[in-house]
Amino acid sequence: MDIVLRAAVAYVFIIFLLRIIGRRELSTLGPSDLVLLVVMGDLIQNGVTQSDQSVTGVFLAVSTFAMLTVAFSMMSFKSRRIQTVVKGTPLILIQDGEPIEANLRAERLKVEDVTEQARGQGIERLDEIKWCVLEASGTMSFIKAA
Amino acid sequence: MTQVIQVADAPQTLTLKTNRDRRNWWQSPWLRRGLLLVPSALIVLALLNVFGQRMVTARATSSEATLSVTAPDHARSGVIYAARFRVTAREDVKKATLVLDSGWADGYTVNGQAPQPISQGSSDGRLVYGFGHIPAGHSLTFWLSLQVNPTTVGEHHQSVDLYDGRRLLATVRRSVFVFP
Repeated sequence: MDIVLRAAVAYVFIIFLLRIIGRRELSTLGPSDLVLLVVMGDLIQNGVTQSDQSVTGVFLAVSTFAMLTVAFSMMSFKSRRIQTVVKGTPLILIQDGEPIEANLRAERLKVEDVTEQARGQGIERLDEIKWCVLEASGTMSFIKAA
Repeated sequence: MTQVIQVADAPQTLTLKTNRDRRNWWQSPWLRRGLLLVPSALIVLALLNVFGQRMVTARATSSEATLSVTAPDHARSGVIYAARFRVTAREDVKKATLVLDSGWADGYTVNGQAPQPISQGSSDGRLVYGFGHIPAGHSLTFWLSLQVNPTTVGEHHQSVDLYDGRRLLATVRRSVFVFP
């Protein structure tokens, strides 16, 4: 029972933490983001299974994480409000080639970060962009100007 | 003459109010900043030893002897530490005996003890360690190596009595709170 409770608490705390640190950290892999994502798993494992090295413990912890993932996914599907809480909402960063500074600042992004992503989509200049949307997953979507 | 300003429609399923202007209360940057206080507060509280396991010394003194107990008063499940018990005799203590509350063993794994007591026993669920004679002006130090069991949580009473034979000399009252 202990492992299930620990895994559930850890899962909810991770979701909470990932939501409040911002989307930038989810999609980019700068040095500090990489450290966070790599180290997080190892640190969580100690707290969830502690000294339990049994296969039963693995089954319990992994099953709890898997079921919570399904549960959160179902709740997000059923309720828009829960979806907003768990996943967040897309954020428009550029409209008609003009950066929306407040939104960039809110996500701790610079225009250079956007142009870097835009180049990956074959876009040279900002005025080629009609919409740039930072999706809830942390990826940037570009819609080119006609 | 009315001037018509063309406003671009947002991509499908997005709205300018929510996805560009962040007009909803839950999109306020202050909400996220406020929530960031939660992990920040955890870090500050940890640095202030709220979650353990900084060693704390508690003392009790009588005309015959001083008993001091050094151990964390906050710990977390699974942590390992050594508690230190020190008896300083002002007068001859002929049969020094330490009596520990069951909270020192309940929910703990006792990994070892040094030095080995002359006698060990139990009295109403409490641990009894006999050390024999401590001459006046000398002291005895006893270490108990402990590990909090992973499932242990909550408060545990860990008072310690010092006896000379059957005569109570000093009592240190303490407890430990174990975080999950």
